[in-house]
Amino acid sequence: MGGKVSCTLGEVKNRADLIVYWGGNPAECHPRHFTKYSLMPKGRFVPNGRKDRTMILVDIRETASAKAADIFLQVRPAKDFEMITVLRALIKEQPVDTKLVAETGLTLEELTDFAQRLKKAKFGVFFFGMGLSMTRGKHMNSAALLTLAAELNAFTKFVAMPMRGHGNVTGGDVIMRWTTGYPFGVNLARGYPRFNPGEYSTIDLLIRGDTDAVLVLGADPGATMPQPAIDHMVRVPTIVLDPKVTHTSKIARVHITTAVTGISAPGTAYRMDEIPLPLKPPLKSPYPTDEEVIRRIYQAVAKKPPLMPPVRPKVPRV
Amino acid sequence: MLRITGGKVYDPANGVNGVIRDVCIQDGRIVADVEAGRTINATGMVVFPGGVDVHTHVAGAALNFARAMIPEDHLHSEPFVRTAIRRGGISGATPTTYVTGYLYGGLGYTTVNEAAVPILSARHTHEELRDTPIVDKSTCVLMANNEILLDQLEAGETERARHFLAWCVGAAKAYGVKAVNPGGVTAWKWGKDANTLYELVPGYNKITPAGIIQSLARIVDDLGLPHPLHLHCNNLGVPGNYATTLETLKLVESNRAHIAHIQYHAYGGNDWTTMRSESTRIADYFNAHPNLTADAGAVLFGNTVTITADGPWQHLLYKLTGRKWGNIDVENETGCGVVPYVYKEKNLVNAIQWAVGLEMLLLISDPWRMSLTTDHPNGAAFWRYPEIIELLMNADFRREQIKKLPPKVLERIILPELTREYTLYEIAIITSAGPARSLGLRQKGHLGIGADADVAVFNDIKEARKMFAYPRYVIKGGEVVIEEGEVRKTVEGHSLLTQPFHDPKIADFIRPLFQQYYTMSFDNYPVEMERLEHPDVQPCTQANS
Amino acid sequence: MELTVTKDATCTFCGCVCDDIELHSDGTKITNTKAACVLGKSWFLNHTAERLYPDALIDGKEATVDEAVEAAAEYLYLAHLPLVYGLSNITCEAQRESVALAELIGGVVDSHTSL
Repeated sequence: MGGKVSCTLGEVKNRADLIVYWGGNPAECHPRHFTKYSLMPKGRFVPNGRKDRTMILVDIRETASAKAADIFLQVRPAKDFEMITVLRALIKEQPVDTKLVAETGLTLEELTDFAQRLKKAKFGVFFFGMGLSMTRGKHMNSAALLTLAAELNAFTKFVAMPMRGHGNVTGGDVIMRWTTGYPFGVNLARGYPRFNPGEYSTIDLLIRGDTDAVLVLGADPGATMPQPAIDHMVRVPTIVLDPKVTHTSKIARVHITTAVTGISAPGTAYRMDEIPLPLKPPLKSPYPTDEEVIRRIYQAVAKKPPLMPPVRPKVPRV
Repeated sequence: MLRITGGKVYDPANGVNGVIRDVCIQDGRIVADVEAGRTINATGMVVFPGGVDVHTHVAGAALNFARAMIPEDHLHSEPFVRTAIRRGGISGATPTTYVTGYLYGGLGYTTVNEAAVPILSARHTHEELRDTPIVDKSTCVLMANNEILLDQLEAGETERARHFLAWCVGAAKAYGVKAVNPGGVTAWKWGKDANTLYELVPGYNKITPAGIIQSLARIVDDLGLPHPLHLHCNNLGVPGNYATTLETLKLVESNRAHIAHIQYHAYGGNDWTTMRSESTRIADYFNAHPNLTADAGAVLFGNTVTITADGPWQHLLYKLTGRKWGNIDVENETGCGVVPYVYKEKNLVNAIQWAVGLEMLLLISDPWRMSLTTDHPNGAAFWRYPEIIELLMNADFRREQIKKLPPKVLERIILPELTREYTLYEIAIITSAGPARSLGLRQKGHLGIGADADVAVFNDIKEARKMFAYPRYVIKGGEVVIEEGEVRKTVEGHSLLTQPFHDPKIADFIRPLFQQYYTMSFDNYPVEMERLEHPDVQPCTQANS
Repeated sequence: MELTVTKDATCTFCGCVCDDIELHSDGTKITNTKAACVLGKSWFLNHTAERLYPDALIDGKEATVDEAVEAAAEYLYLAHLPLVYGLSNITCEAQRESVALAELIGGVVDSHTSL
């Protein structure tokens, strides 16, 4: 188990005849996902667009996206992992525990039909949202679904993709990977990257009080994070770079107003499928860009006496 | 200004074989003489032109995907602690970008060719290459499964195909053209593969892998690209694939071609239990056909991660290993698979792969046409090249290593019979002069007057492993970047690219197709020249046609 | 102010990152959008080039960018384990600078992904 079997969104547009949204509500959170990438467009091998595709929505409640679905499967809250496990057994024609099936809130008939559709698809895709990845089980749910997608490739072509949320969060992952080797939560205190989710992740650092200064960029944790985390940001020097004075700015020691990404700040952003796109800002901001301010902070720190003794670098022995 | 004096110079492109002479540098170039400046005393050392890697995977969506997949490998990797001169990072199978530059520089390598770039994510590749210091960089764009191109070939529109391909090289800001499992990756989009060269590609009525290979090789030559078609043959890694490889080589008889990681394409047998080496057959054909160049794709035992645009092969490898599997199909263009892998000395298949890599290097008689690579990180990480050099230069050491293999492997390989030992002159060819010539980079891989001042200075000692792992000095573009085994300066590299001629009207032809098949805007598709670090356009031999 | 039209602009509001948006602007405001969804439209229309906020604040009081940069640098320099957090609504170029800064100050760099 492990890994990710995925594709760029154009593959879905051109080929997918079975589209499954799991724990996400694209109709309200990613409004053009249906029309631009997945459900509606006429693709190279699905020339009739919507008519050539089947859409199944799996969620704990009937959201606005259910209207667009051919089949809606209402899973009992926090039973996604169990449901995926049953499906993994069904596609391999393994016997399943009826008690376990009952727990999912769905009938064996519904699940068997679902499993059959997954196997019979010419090109199937799972798009999974925070309803799967941020509820009980968290990354284990995502891992289970990714494994189901990988295993389906024994029968047909199947891929899976997370419905990444806000703005350029994907770009952050991509850039941290090439500069540090890890996608998030990277500790550089020893001068080289270390990774340990749960230890070096933001919420944990804040709630435990491990960090003694916070620089917040392109986010407003003061509005969204658990109270103990916010309390710690109040205690330590917090610095915010944002186009607006945010909730976090109000608890911060320093706020710097910056230009708006893609509106008055140029650069690059990554799409959820990790395709980089150029930004074309139409406006000229009276404020500096984040890039410029961060670089200036860097230069201001670099002028101070070095934190580590200036050791002569070694090319490590191989 | 810089003078390297007293060293034994190996400059095969200029026929210089171990002659003690001065190498002089001014304004980033090799010059006849300098009047002032620093002098490096290289007495007791050897002087090579800076290394050139003709086939490696160091940047882009696929490698960066692999980085995310193997945090457990990073944990055991060599950490690079940040200093005033260099950035922090980690080494291992997929080093971070800055560390990639330091490690290549630290081996005396100054030019690398990133061998697999989809146009759709070329912007990403170039961003990573900009964060890869010290080395100059070229890229090859993936074309053999590009559906718009295949449509043109299907329709018999070869001229339009040529213009389209030339436009794509320009759009991706690439240097050359790569073909990976022609037709097979297209088939993979439906979960299939292309197993023979003459079956129709799924979704097409006329074109076959053979047809794609021939058309691409011809187009690349017609455009006068400095580097021939960079070809990853069909059936990579599969027992019995030597037959496919031989057929492929015959297909490109009247064109130039560079055969990538030839080790992976020289196996006999019918399945994993009967697999054996067929390196002799491939080498015999190759030796008789001067239109071909190749790189080794040698394997070393140990932990690594395999990354290739060959999606179906990676699915097979996942089924074989039962380990993690990553896959990204890129719309209309290509695929990509990532599977972590361990080459084990005691595993029969792995032992054969190890032997075949060395056999190919030893059997191909003209070192000018055979470059040292491991298809990094597929066969092993590039920073292990010195281990391979030791195996090539020292037949006794080789015999010691063969003794560690499972005995039953001996009847499947011919390595024990090979007594050839590489000379320093030949090592300078396979690590620098040869790959530079194969890439068509006239200012690289030699120390003649006017060449780029990329120079590596090594201790002249018997143990090649140590000698090549720790250069005494590395000079890049005239700057001393490595000295006494330490990074002293981190210069920026150049982006090497070509802009082959195409009919400007071809964009009008592509635009509507693009809007139909792609999900990004056509005008956002080409990589902007400003994004490249020191762009350096290399000439094509055909200015237009 | 003259009306300008930007074609194939990219919207960074959600992970779709649509790059086929047409934006009409008068130099200070975006006056109209084409092809954007309801979320994208409000994103574009709600951000202007007006000077609506002070350049910078230190302890809630207005300050210059220079002063704020110095203050930020001092806090980050003195901290034992500073945290650089967020990185979602900024450009890749800014993210790249953020990692470099985190390395310089010996801190942790983290994004929304860890939530």
